[in-house]
Amino acid sequence: MLATRLGRAPRALARRHLSSNDLKFFAGVPEVTKEGVAIIRLDNKSQKMNTLSPALQDEAKMLWKELTSKHDVKAAVFISNKPDNFIAGADIGMLAAKKKAGEEDSLRAVCLSGHAMFDELKGSGVPFVAAIHGACLGGGLEWAMKCDSRIASTSPKTKLGLPEVKLGLLPGWGGTYALPKLVGLTEALPMILQGKEVRPDKAKKIGLVDAVCDPAALEALAVQTAVQLSQGKKKQKKKSWKRWATEDISFGRDFVFKKAKETVDKTTRGKYPAAYEILSCVENGLGKPPSDAFAFEADAFVRLAKTSESSALIGLFDGITAAKKNPYPSTTKPSSVAVLGAGLMGAGIAQVSAEKGLAVALKDVSPEGLAKGVAYVAGNLDKKVKRRRMDAFKRNTIVSSITGYHDSDGGNAEAFAKKASQLDVVIEAVFENLELKHKVFGTVSGLVRDDCVLATNTSAIPIEKVAAGIDKPERVLGMHYFSPVPSMQLLEIIPHAGTNEESMSKAFGVGIKQGKTCIEVADVPGFYVNRALAPMMAEVAPLFEDGVTPKQLDEAILDLGMPVGPITLLDEVGADVGLHVQHTMLADATMGSRMAGAKPEMLQHLVDQNWKGRKDGKGFFVYKGKKKEPHQEVLDYVEKSIKQRDAELTKEQIQDRYLSRFVNEALICLQEGILKSPADGDLGAVFGTGFLPFTGGPFRMIDAVGAQLYADKLSRLADEHGDHFAPAQLLLDHAKAGTKFHP
Amino acid sequence: MLRAAALRRGLSTSQGKRVVVVDGARIPFAMAGTKYKDQMAVDLMRYALRGLLTKTALPVTEVDYVLCGTVVQEPRTSNIAREAAMHAGLPHDIPAHTVSLACVSANAAICQGAEKILAGQADVVIAGGCETFSDVPIRYSRPIRKRLLGAAKAMKKGPMGALSLLKGLKLKDLAPEAPSIKNFTTDEVMGHSSDRLATKFGVTREEQDKFTLRSHQNAQKAHDDGVYAEELVPGVEGDADLHENGIKAQSTPEQLAKLKPAFVKNGAGTHTAANSSFLTDGAAATLIMSESKALELGYAPKAYLNNWTFAAVDPFEEMLLGPTYATAKVLDMAGVSLDDIDVVEFHEAFAGQVLANFNAMSSDEFGREKLGRQGAVGTMNMDKVNPHGGSLSLGHPFGATGARLVTTAANRLQREGGKLALVAACADGGVGHACVLERYPQ
Repeated sequence: MLATRLGRAPRALARRHLSSNDLKFFAGVPEVTKEGVAIIRLDNKSQKMNTLSPALQDEAKMLWKELTSKHDVKAAVFISNKPDNFIAGADIGMLAAKKKAGEEDSLRAVCLSGHAMFDELKGSGVPFVAAIHGACLGGGLEWAMKCDSRIASTSPKTKLGLPEVKLGLLPGWGGTYALPKLVGLTEALPMILQGKEVRPDKAKKIGLVDAVCDPAALEALAVQTAVQLSQGKKKQKKKSWKRWATEDISFGRDFVFKKAKETVDKTTRGKYPAAYEILSCVENGLGKPPSDAFAFEADAFVRLAKTSESSALIGLFDGITAAKKNPYPSTTKPSSVAVLGAGLMGAGIAQVSAEKGLAVALKDVSPEGLAKGVAYVAGNLDKKVKRRRMDAFKRNTIVSSITGYHDSDGGNAEAFAKKASQLDVVIEAVFENLELKHKVFGTVSGLVRDDCVLATNTSAIPIEKVAAGIDKPERVLGMHYFSPVPSMQLLEIIPHAGTNEESMSKAFGVGIKQGKTCIEVADVPGFYVNRALAPMMAEVAPLFEDGVTPKQLDEAILDLGMPVGPITLLDEVGADVGLHVQHTMLADATMGSRMAGAKPEMLQHLVDQNWKGRKDGKGFFVYKGKKKEPHQEVLDYVEKSIKQRDAELTKEQIQDRYLSRFVNEALICLQEGILKSPADGDLGAVFGTGFLPFTGGPFRMIDAVGAQLYADKLSRLADEHGDHFAPAQLLLDHAKAGTKFHP
Repeated sequence: MLRAAALRRGLSTSQGKRVVVVDGARIPFAMAGTKYKDQMAVDLMRYALRGLLTKTALPVTEVDYVLCGTVVQEPRTSNIAREAAMHAGLPHDIPAHTVSLACVSANAAICQGAEKILAGQADVVIAGGCETFSDVPIRYSRPIRKRLLGAAKAMKKGPMGALSLLKGLKLKDLAPEAPSIKNFTTDEVMGHSSDRLATKFGVTREEQDKFTLRSHQNAQKAHDDGVYAEELVPGVEGDADLHENGIKAQSTPEQLAKLKPAFVKNGAGTHTAANSSFLTDGAAATLIMSESKALELGYAPKAYLNNWTFAAVDPFEEMLLGPTYATAKVLDMAGVSLDDIDVVEFHEAFAGQVLANFNAMSSDEFGREKLGRQGAVGTMNMDKVNPHGGSLSLGHPFGATGARLVTTAANRLQREGGKLALVAACADGGVGHACVLERYPQ
């Protein structure tokens, strides 16, 4: 700056030293130790995470040029200045932009330029060491694998993995080539195919990193390693017999790939092209020179980047990221909750709250009920300890942070009252009975502060009715969790007409803290997820009438890519619960003809016979321990009492009739303002029902298929089967305008 | 009758700071090898701490110090107080230490906590203790230990060096060593000492059995009447059962009379498996505070902890007679007589030991000769003693019993409306403890 002001020649400017202010992705000009080790610090100045992009590559090259022109660099260490990440992956924003612009082909060059950059760096002949602390994922791990040695910190924050498959992509920067080379086929395949992350100790064990150490010692050990490498000291590891058999013997290798493909077929039902591309890249890369493998991989990457699956999965990822932000921002964060009712739901809510550091008061009617709830939490955590996902200390502190109360003698009502004054949110998970919910809220509302949220975890009772008669109803809202709470990611948050924003803010605060993906839904019967599910489940009986067998139905829907088929779903949820929802929805006049086909007497029959599903040990299946087999009596019942004709429906017909009723209802939910956005509708469908994740949800699916095409399909179904298939007006509008839900 | 004029106030600082018992809790005590057979002592302590925090709704950040007693130590948790506190979710910045004073370890913890409060070192202290006999450390014999510790050095000399380790090793050295309830100095087990004490003070077998049965019946009644609902908290997660499984109220005097002496087996012995306390797993915790802090936090304390003392006697002659010495001492400190005491919670290590102490207290001769008093300490009114059972029936987890006694005494003062309570207990090594509580006016 000074130079220009003084009117010096521009050349002088070019020779000026690089300063940290000139750098966007690195901390500053690397220091060089007396042994000649350059310590290159990654530090994305504009974001919390280091991410890879062409701009970073350019800066790296410039930095390296500058460095080597001034110093006799003998080795180099890459280390991050970020507290919790080395490099978290490629810049997804960059990727999304290219996709949006239809410039996926240019991604090939991006992949290859990455290789070129490292070739340039390594052209100098000096060894590189990656000092890894925090997330080292995707392109970050590929960067580390380009180095000659990797040292990882033992911090719980440190995790290494190639999660690209979760976005419908593959590691496009040599990952499919480098990882098998480093850790062997049998370790590499699950990591790339499932996006599994590994912790430092495991990484050391499989050879992904060369050493692990305390975070405080990371830099020193990396520098020491770099010095040794520069002096030509590196132990060559002998290949294990297992790796030799599975990689170098064609018979063994073929077997591994055959098995892997079978697993992929079975788990994805062919719906995720990334898995197959990954397999072919890994297979192709074995024994090939890197340049060939990299070109092959880059081509595959571009092909995947063009798929609707990757768009859908990236869209979902963005949706989840966006949902981590509280739509009702507040300066205060809720820290203390009470859960009333220690049943499966209540205990689950208590667990996810306590696991994320909320103080939890759990209350039940009886000491036995409370004990059962605590045992459920303890049991879940014990499983994590057993699988080494958690240590015993953490488990104990989590269980200890749940203070238990009950309404019997010795239930410490006084202490609960004392606790209640500290609560931010009370979540009731008692039986689905309005009177009981009123009683429970009536009691607790007198104990808590006026600004404490009273949330009801109902799935069937209108929030407005729960709020009616409660002192200060503006603090009442619905928090609809899905069972089992610890593993179901979705949370519907439902305000009634009078709920205030402060309460919404706290509910979202708690939900987000619990690690849930929260969507706001209007106070209508079934809210969103159950409302959209109801017409779909109503289609089961008409399909049976048309001669589809329960097994055939489940298979067809699994083939569609749903995680469970309808009869399995009914068994898991319970016929009684399904029946209850069906009655609720049938009673809702606003549904018009859209519940057509529902046959409550079929579910009633299952309930009457005590064939409610898994909880009865019998439903559509008979459950024996972990095994299940078809329940012949139910099959006979369907055959004799429900079936009316043999329509000989094709698999596609079954799938269309079943799925489209959900999709159409989701559209109507958006149309009627029950949903706030298509993104919410997608998140709700995928995380609440397992709706075809590779489509990214119903709205993204329609965007990919085309509104017109989907509207035509619905119209055809409506012509054949009735008005309840008639496409929602909103869909017709999009079809007419040629617009998308996610523009 | 309370001699009001003579009653000195309990211990307090010049600013009038006094110690109060706010509340207490214990997990159901259980016979060793039953309910808690898969737990470590640290787990039991964690349950008790968690239970106390739950029932008092005490914000964890208010705790200044945690003290726990324990006797038979698990080497991995030698400072069991610190481990249990952290596992119970107490913040890391609350210091905790472990005290060991045999059967009055928890009393020592409570008194130390009280002293911390009076010294201005703390305002809120959780003091308690725990014990498990379901998993005691069983060791190799000394000759084996010696060789194991020397093994690394010997192995350097190769296989022959390792072989040399076997030299001099005897077959009997292979037998593992389990800890026994034996005094190191006297080399005598407690039961034996107590049996001799009972004989010396003329306590008959019949009296002992009768006292034992009374203990069990009282304990059962207390459970049936729900007296312990305010003291018991659940143990293992998911277990709502608050029953204490050592209580055997159905036993008959005939059944008890049939049992053979367990310690002195020469025919003169009177101590049996029934009239001795059994090996017990359990944990208990008491919340004590400075009076001002308790009131500030909105608690209604149950009792003042007025006076406390420890006494030590000749372990060869009077091993378990400490309570008599300590009682005499603490009554003097409080400026009251035994008759002024309304509530007595007396540790029942052995029925014979309890009755021997009572006999000693009521003996003018003993008072004069051993205690240097005008006469007897006083005659114990049995109606005031352990009406809800004691260590003989509820069980006696060494490290925990003291906290149970103090909590029950404080609750009894509130329930029965008396003014003063005496807690007394004996301990291995000839140590005795006694303290005086005063009902906190509600």
